[in-house]
Amino acid sequence: MLDSATTEPAVPSQSSPVRRTTWSRRLLFVAALLGPGFITASAGNDVGGIFTYSVAGAQFGYRAIWPLIPIAVALIVVQEMAARMGAVTGKGLSALIREEFGVRIALLTMLGLFFMNTFTTSAEFAGIASASEIYHISRYIAVPLSLLVVFFAVLRVSGKLIERIFVVLSLVYVTYIVSGALAHPDWHQVARDSLVPSFDAHDPGYVGMLVALIGTTISPYMQFYLQSAIVEKGSRSNNLLELRIDVANGSILAIAVAAFMIIANAATIFVFNQAHAAHPLVVNQASDVAIALAPLAGKFASSLFAFGILNAGLFTAAILPLSTSYLVCEAFGFEAAIDRRFSEAPVFFALFAAGLAIGAALVLIPGAPLLQLSIASQVVQGLLLPLELVLMLIIINRVRVMGTFRNTRTANAITWATVVIVGTIALYYTYTQVAALL
Amino acid sequence: MAFRDGYLSEFVGRPAVVESGDERRSVGKVVDFFVAKPDDAFPRIDGIVVRTADGERISPVADIARVEMEGPIVLSVAPTQLCEPDERALYLIKDLFDKQIVDVDGRKVVRINDLEIANTGGTLRVVAADIGVAGLLRRLGLRRVAPSLLDRVPRTLIAWDNVAPITDANPATVQLSVSGSRLSRLHPSELADIITELSAQDAARVVQHLDDETAADAFEHLDADVQQSIIEDLGTDRAADIIEEMDSDDAADLLGELDEEKRAELLAKIEDRDYADQLEDLVEYPPDTAGGLMTTDYVWIFPHRTTAATIAKIRELGPETEFIYYLYVTDDDRKLLGVISLRTLLLALPTAFIHKLMDTDVVSVAADTSAQDVASTIARYDLLAVPVLDNEGRVLGIVTVDDAIDSIIPEKIANSLPRFVRHHTKKPAVAR
Repeated sequence: MLDSATTEPAVPSQSSPVRRTTWSRRLLFVAALLGPGFITASAGNDVGGIFTYSVAGAQFGYRAIWPLIPIAVALIVVQEMAARMGAVTGKGLSALIREEFGVRIALLTMLGLFFMNTFTTSAEFAGIASASEIYHISRYIAVPLSLLVVFFAVLRVSGKLIERIFVVLSLVYVTYIVSGALAHPDWHQVARDSLVPSFDAHDPGYVGMLVALIGTTISPYMQFYLQSAIVEKGSRSNNLLELRIDVANGSILAIAVAAFMIIANAATIFVFNQAHAAHPLVVNQASDVAIALAPLAGKFASSLFAFGILNAGLFTAAILPLSTSYLVCEAFGFEAAIDRRFSEAPVFFALFAAGLAIGAALVLIPGAPLLQLSIASQVVQGLLLPLELVLMLIIINRVRVMGTFRNTRTANAITWATVVIVGTIALYYTYTQVAALL
Repeated sequence: MAFRDGYLSEFVGRPAVVESGDERRSVGKVVDFFVAKPDDAFPRIDGIVVRTADGERISPVADIARVEMEGPIVLSVAPTQLCEPDERALYLIKDLFDKQIVDVDGRKVVRINDLEIANTGGTLRVVAADIGVAGLLRRLGLRRVAPSLLDRVPRTLIAWDNVAPITDANPATVQLSVSGSRLSRLHPSELADIITELSAQDAARVVQHLDDETAADAFEHLDADVQQSIIEDLGTDRAADIIEEMDSDDAADLLGELDEEKRAELLAKIEDRDYADQLEDLVEYPPDTAGGLMTTDYVWIFPHRTTAATIAKIRELGPETEFIYYLYVTDDDRKLLGVISLRTLLLALPTAFIHKLMDTDVVSVAADTSAQDVASTIARYDLLAVPVLDNEGRVLGIVTVDDAIDSIIPEKIANSLPRFVRHHTKKPAVAR
């Protein structure tokens, strides 16, 4: 007689509306095109990157393009490894390094990462400073202002919104391709010099350029960033195809943008300097490129370049100190979340604020050697990359960690080759620099 | 056995020697500690793993002759037992050092920096996990450089019976059930917070070790995207078991978020066929209407029974039923005749008849009433629940006050916070 209602289903006769829409699924394809791989690769084209590519093009002409092809192969392989490690383990690279190598190696890695990223942040603020000075705004206004903007954007604006803004801003990089085309390069020579490698080991400038090119294109920080992005997105090993497409897309686009920056500068400044060897245009900082481009490629190309520098500076200054702080806290198990109070996550906030503040402060020191700082940070990246890759290679070949998703022989071979080549070039360059000093 | 209290990092890496008379012979290096039964509150260490010239060997704790402040660990005989992979055993360094655990008392995910061990009445046991800076500094070798400084750093220890390891080991083994039973001490919403903090892979690992009921309670507090990603990893059999334990309204919400194929697959695996049919019907209602909010888990009674008989029946049904504070009086056709509160029922004479006691002026809503209106109705009449009726006045289900509140509070306040920052240590939200 008496019963719980669970025995008889209640069927509504009058209502059978279709439940939730699935339009979000249709965005998956777009999301793959503009996924973490794309954002990461774009972050690689920061102020230091713009500067490196520009100087390479201005000093060495189209000869600076060919290294980008092997670099692209290495970049795709290395980024795919990071993406795969994130998808299979669900852990960030700093957490894996801590778990697989213990406290000491993790501490060394994190110290290196923190200092390198702080220097790089500084290079971003230097870019903001010089780009704003083109518009006659003092760096003593522009840098503190950007610092505040970045600080409060990161602390107060929703992460989803920032991500969307970044994705849109990343598209600005495509405008470099326009800049390159506007410079009317000699396409025949571009094609020839891109495919035929030339190498001048006796020119320390050329070797330095190679180190900086590698260091800024496959910057060690990008692997950490991408792997965390993959974990955060919740990707799994069954999404590997999607992730690989994303990584390849992002890498190829980033390399294309880099190539066009070199082309733009080669077609203008390099060609001009060949003709006017007595009064060459000198490129000392990223904004010099924008100034030099104005008479040679037109005002539009020049403004585009200046805007690109500003954008790259803000973009990277916003993500670099924050993500570094997350990575360090992840490795050591400190509380890390931006919605906590300072007293709940002191290490996290202190690292974030310190990275940002030191980065900005270095730029504001009167007479600070910004150019040397920028180059040094790129070279340090080139030196640290092989070490990072070795750690990644060891982890990704462990069955216990990766199961059946260990590296293939090809991926191992390409990565080891990168380690050896980059290591040799970077050590050789450091040796020549130290020898020159003594 | 002559072990002293201390931290594992102080013993690992030391040379192991065998002493016979005045002679000392080196046999290798201490690399790990072996626990045969990890499910104890404070697991006993059964042996030390020594890396010898011919592989890793286990030396039983009984064979340890002497352990000093520093210097080698002295054994009475050379270790012979082979160190073989054992699913049930735990290797403290390999399996726990630097790994993440859930601090059940502090309700957060932390990383083990060191383990405190104690010699308690002749057995060596793991007593606490060191998760603080002191542990990190000890691992970095500060004891050798500045021992007094290390002693001044405050220690952050978690007693081992408050620790739930997150491992990917086989959930069938004992170790995981202990992790699960400790996690089940958390309030379901706290457990859900911890699961949300973890990466997708770790979240699935943690849920694997929970019993169905605890997992179901936690699931009810999880966001749809987290639920989906865990279900993906659990496999349909286990997922169906968990869904079966969930309240019907929450289970229907979860199923509604899945694609049709996956939903059908899960529904087919649910053992209670009636419940599966109910869920299938509930899924059809839009989530922001009374139909989408309602649960079918309520008590209905007939009017011509005495209070004593009704109370006896509620005692029988109560444990299985979500909401028993209002009892809905219906006829044979499930048409609603009236409602009676548990209070009225308890205070009435045992011989009184239900139809004399019941309130016939029942406030109800229709299946397509909006969530907002349902909440207003509940608020206006100070109800704990409101019945949902079809066109003929039959009871389809009830909406309880907590579900009504959930539905009108601005889409979970937590969700308006930056998503990437809600995960802490585990997910460095650089991915923004």
